Amino acid sequence: MIRSLSIPERQVALALSVALALLGLAMAAAARHGAMAVHGAMAMALGLALLFALGGALYDPDAPADRARRYYDEPTRFGIVMTLCWALIGMGVGVWVAALLYWPEATPPWPATSFGRLRPVHTTSVIFGFGGNALIATSFHVLQRTSRARLADAISPWMVLIGFNLFCAWAVTGYLMGSTQSKEYAEAEWYADIWLVVIWVTYFVLYLRTLARRAEPHIYVANWYYMAFILVVAMLHIVNNIALPVSLAGAKSFTIWAGVQDAMVQWWYGHNAVAFFLTAGFLGMLYYFLPVRSGRPIWSYRLSIVSFWGIVFFYIWVGSHHLHYTALPYWVQTLGMTFSVMLLVPSWASAGNAIATLNGAWHKVRDDATLRFMFVAAVFYGLSTFEGSFLAIRPVNSLSHYTDWTVGHVHSGTLGWVAMIIFGAIYTLVPQLWGRETMAWPRAVEWHFWLAVTGTLIYVVSMWNAGITQGLMWRTYDANGALSYSFLQSVQAMAPYYLLRTIGGALFLTGAVICALNCRATMRAASEGATATDRPLAPQPAE
Amino acid sequence: MSRQSHHEVEIDPITGHETTGHDWNGIRELNTPFPRMVIWALSLAFAYSVVAWVLLPAWPLGRDYTRGLLGLDQGRMAVENYRHLEQARADWVVPFASADFASLATNPGLMARAMPAAARLFADNCAACHGVEATGGPGFPSLADGAWLWSADPAAIAETLRYGINSPHTDTRFSQMPAFGRDGLLTREQVAAVADYVLALSSGNADPDSHGAAIFAENCSACHGDAGSGGLGIGAPVLADDHWIYGGTRDDILATLGGGRQGVMPAWEGRLSPAEINMLAIYVSRLNDGGNAGDGR
Amino acid sequence: MLRLHYNLEKLSMGLVVGIIVAASIGGAVEIAPLFTIDETVAIPDDLRPQTPLELAGREIFIREGCYACHSQMVRHLADEIDRYGPYSLAAESAYDHPMLWGSKRTGPDLARLGGKYSDAWHVAHLINPRAVAPTSIMPAYPWLTARLDTDILSAELATLALLGVPYSEDMVANAGRDALAQSRPDSDGAANVTERYGETVAIRAFDGDTSRLTEMDALVAYLQSLGTLTRAAYETLGQEAAR
Ligand code: HEC
Ligand code: HEC
Ligand code: HEC
Ligand code: HEM
Ligand code: HEM
Ligand SMILES: [Ca+2]
Ligand SMILES: [Ca+2]
Ligand SMILES: [Cu+2]
Repeated sequence: MIRSLSIPERQVALALSVALALLGLAMAAAARHGAMAVHGAMAMALGLALLFALGGALYDPDAPADRARRYYDEPTRFGIVMTLCWALIGMGVGVWVAALLYWPEATPPWPATSFGRLRPVHTTSVIFGFGGNALIATSFHVLQRTSRARLADAISPWMVLIGFNLFCAWAVTGYLMGSTQSKEYAEAEWYADIWLVVIWVTYFVLYLRTLARRAEPHIYVANWYYMAFILVVAMLHIVNNIALPVSLAGAKSFTIWAGVQDAMVQWWYGHNAVAFFLTAGFLGMLYYFLPVRSGRPIWSYRLSIVSFWGIVFFYIWVGSHHLHYTALPYWVQTLGMTFSVMLLVPSWASAGNAIATLNGAWHKVRDDATLRFMFVAAVFYGLSTFEGSFLAIRPVNSLSHYTDWTVGHVHSGTLGWVAMIIFGAIYTLVPQLWGRETMAWPRAVEWHFWLAVTGTLIYVVSMWNAGITQGLMWRTYDANGALSYSFLQSVQAMAPYYLLRTIGGALFLTGAVICALNCRATMRAASEGATATDRPLAPQPAE
Repeated sequence: MSRQSHHEVEIDPITGHETTGHDWNGIRELNTPFPRMVIWALSLAFAYSVVAWVLLPAWPLGRDYTRGLLGLDQGRMAVENYRHLEQARADWVVPFASADFASLATNPGLMARAMPAAARLFADNCAACHGVEATGGPGFPSLADGAWLWSADPAAIAETLRYGINSPHTDTRFSQMPAFGRDGLLTREQVAAVADYVLALSSGNADPDSHGAAIFAENCSACHGDAGSGGLGIGAPVLADDHWIYGGTRDDILATLGGGRQGVMPAWEGRLSPAEINMLAIYVSRLNDGGNAGDGR
Repeated sequence: MLRLHYNLEKLSMGLVVGIIVAASIGGAVEIAPLFTIDETVAIPDDLRPQTPLELAGREIFIREGCYACHSQMVRHLADEIDRYGPYSLAAESAYDHPMLWGSKRTGPDLARLGGKYSDAWHVAHLINPRAVAPTSIMPAYPWLTARLDTDILSAELATLALLGVPYSEDMVANAGRDALAQSRPDSDGAANVTERYGETVAIRAFDGDTSRLTEMDALVAYLQSLGTLTRAAYETLGQEAAR
């Protein structure tokens, strides 16, 4: 990694590491105890580790002279490794919390491992750790390839990746220590939130600067989506996380929003975390890897335009469908509902565009498990957006809200769509970036595929059953007009579904473990210093 | 962007459509015409939305919002629907608002309809303390054992439910077991003696001439009745049976005598309607009646 | 149109501006009016802010992630009114930074919990839910018997006051003392708590032990306050019926 930096760059990186260590020291010293002090110590340790690594290699041979003629893939490689690590952590915790709901006595008597603290560890690890690293890593790859240009500089990709992973690590360790803002998918405390803003601005600037070097005058669709992801996530993150810290020397803060306005801001954010983190960015991924792997042109450029702007415009309106029948005014709910229905059209247009792209490549879908991952992802994207628009209709939501149906919908989107497209991208990228023809164990990809599909189906079907049963039990009236079931009966009725969900999740996790091992074997088998064989169009201007 | 890559527009052999002529590292796009179906779907979804916007509250207007032609208000609708529910069951619920327990409990038609509802109310409100089977637990009395603190009479039970026992309600029933040990009312030795006597009482072989019996007669009978026979209607349990709230081991009894007890039963007035409370009172009064009260959810 | 887009695609800043504009409209239209339309939140006269002890409990509720399983929002639906009580009003969470409406009911809604159970029950349930509800799947929280840290409470009230929660200077200054006093009904400070926060505040030894102020005291005090900060929801139910 360090060898890819020039000596002056190593010096800059060294200075940044010192700055990070000092920041960590300042945090730890100011807070003295609690989550913020631990996080300060973590930052300091990371800064020092980077410092030693850089210091030790400062005067190693300079970066290869011809590096400007190559793509800068080291950050992508690092991002893929982090994606796999977070996949195992996040899904491992997912299976564990799923098991706890079936078997609560298994909870160890320590605060850190209780369900309520682990649940956000799961969601943050999978969405931000697994999904986020995959997005950043692939965005660097896609950006360079579709621009035919090397990343604009060598330092900021590392700042983005390392800084982002520090954010994820702060977030999940914070929850274990009980430090959380409780805002779903934005639980991390104020200083981590500010840190993420800095990282994100760096990311955005890098993106724009690299785009400016592109060889093709037109910007490819995948980049529109990645840009929407970066920009809108920044906007959502900042507004939803505005908070007043109780003291600059402590983790605790209070969101400035309160009550009904806070609920609206939270779900404006929460839904669009789904839309722009879990959808827009991954559509970018799909728009690149699907045509590349299938060797087919995108089916319709015109459809791409309409679906892109449809998604960007409509999505922002629909957050209020998380608040149907609540104290949020009815008018906002109507807007959320109607826009969710309209949103289905651009969503299906994207899914349809992806599937139609495979016309002429169906034999590849049959034979190539990697391409099949992408195909299944597109199908589940279509399914979960249809389900989402359906759930957003008020009367449907009166049944589904608060139940496991929502959880089923979530995982049809995250397992079926997000995770599948990530795996498809990983299986395409890993051999390419480590200079190999194929994955080390091609048969294992096939195994992974079937484990993932079976696991997803078991998970999603059991949660549909669970959710609908729950929703009905809560509102079923007997012939005399009295409620039929107590709440506890609905809890008891969930047991078989929670068990099934755990099994489905375990299958999915097994697939992910196989994937990680396969990737490791592929990476290890790579010859020393192997790099991707493709090259930018022309040498890049000096950095 | 100085070096423009120029590409020819080609015809894709599989679909027969033209490409756009752009090329991103080998990725091409087809210039497939915009599918009509999407326009139709979008128009349909938009039409649905317009109808919804016209009929329902929808668009904000600064300090107000459009109310919609249907004039719907979700709060009012919820309450109306709730009133409909109440009306639909009024014929069997309203009679329970009267406190004529004797005639209510002997009306099989009413009881058949009310007891399942009472069972659900019990499960959602009472089972947390008294148990799903109403058999109680440590600190919470069993309601199914026929041993009553206050009374087996539904009217008295209804009063307990309405106001609670030692609850914050102003009309609460009040009962307290003094802390003989902690407050120094009895010596250690006396407490031990009376504890042994209480243990003996429950197993039916108490010695009325023992030291413990004497202490009991002096300090305890006022509340627990002679020889712990209870029945004084002040919430003190019978001690001559083997039903316990706080446990019947010697240690449990020593703890009761040492620190006293003041169990709290919440007041349900305001949370449950008078009819629901009376329904539950009858349900509870029959719990030890060979399971006739209902299905015991 | 197509031509326009054809050119837009060549400008990265053009796309950036386009995305920002397209993605701002919806949020602005839905969020801003929530501050300007008066009926969105109607603050009732009897609404009180949480006491310092309850606030400390709320933070434990957040810390432990109880909101992951429990909603605090009775929806505007007849069956929810039937099961839980009057539907929740916006005003009831007007001082909540952040709100805890929740999004999942693995356990029951807690919006109307205050007064439903006794303190002793809550303590037993939190220490081990299966001791009182054998089929419960709620985790046990035995560590809540730890001492409550009250040092930060004054600063917290001050921060909330800045955000518009009606805490007086008096309340801010005495936050730590009030927290202790609320758990000691026989102490001198107990009357101050009533004076500052009103008659409806429960002043009890929530964990059954006046000698120590524990996290359990705080959490139970918080749970017992849910739905009791104003009577407005109950009144609305009555008024609506009268219409
Ligand atoms: C928070 C716990 C709790 C809940 C909930 C609760 N109870 Fe009780 N209940 C008690 C306790 C404790 C006592 C005994 C009080 C004492 O020790 O003096 C009691 C006593 C009673 C008694 C008096 C028994 C007797 O022997 O006279 C009745 C009847 C009763 N409960 C019925 C109910 C019903 C019906 C409900 C639901 C509507 C209910 N309880 C809910 C805790 C509870
Ligand atoms: C002021 C009235 C009063 C006096 C005097 C009194 N008790 Fe009690 N006792 C009660 C009440 C009321 C309860 C039930 C407390 C509750 O349920 O919370 C009770 C409960 C008990 C219990 C627990 C029963 C169970 O089921 O777990 C025991 C044992 C007991 N008393 C023994 C005694 C003995 C022995 C004495 C005398 C030394 C005594 N009591 C004096 C009122 C009294
Ligand atoms: C894994 C999910 C889960 C978590 C986390 C959880 N609960 Fe629960 N809770 C439940 C379930 C299920 C029930 C119903 C069964 C029972 O009464 O235990 C319940 C019941 C309750 C009740 C009784 C509500 C009623 O009206 O009967 C209270 C109060 C409660 N929980 C408080 C809490 C608090 C406080 C926390 C956090 C410290 C918490 N819960 C965390 C699942 C959970
Ligand atoms: C091994 C696979 C997985 C298992 C077993 C699993 C299990 C779970 C469980 C048990 C919950 C809590 C549900 C509840 O509270 O009732 C949950 C929530 C969630 N999971 Fe997963 N999960 C898995 C993978 C993923 C992945 C890959 C993602 C995202 C990329 C994801 C995203 C989420 C989200 C967003 C929630 C919160 C849902 C909500 O609040 O409604 N999960 N998961
Ligand atoms: C057209 C697209 C979609 C619409 C209209 C939609 C709509 C909805 C609705 C109505 C809910 C339930 C809200 C509630 O009752 O609490 C929901 C929850 C959720 N959806 Fe979707 N959905 C869509 C697509 C997706 C996709 C593709 C994903 C994942 C990749 C996803 C992830 C989630 C998550 C994580 C939640 C849970 C939020 C929470 O409560 O924590 N959705 N969605
Ligand atoms: Ca945050
Ligand atoms: Ca949720
Ligand atoms: Cu949503």
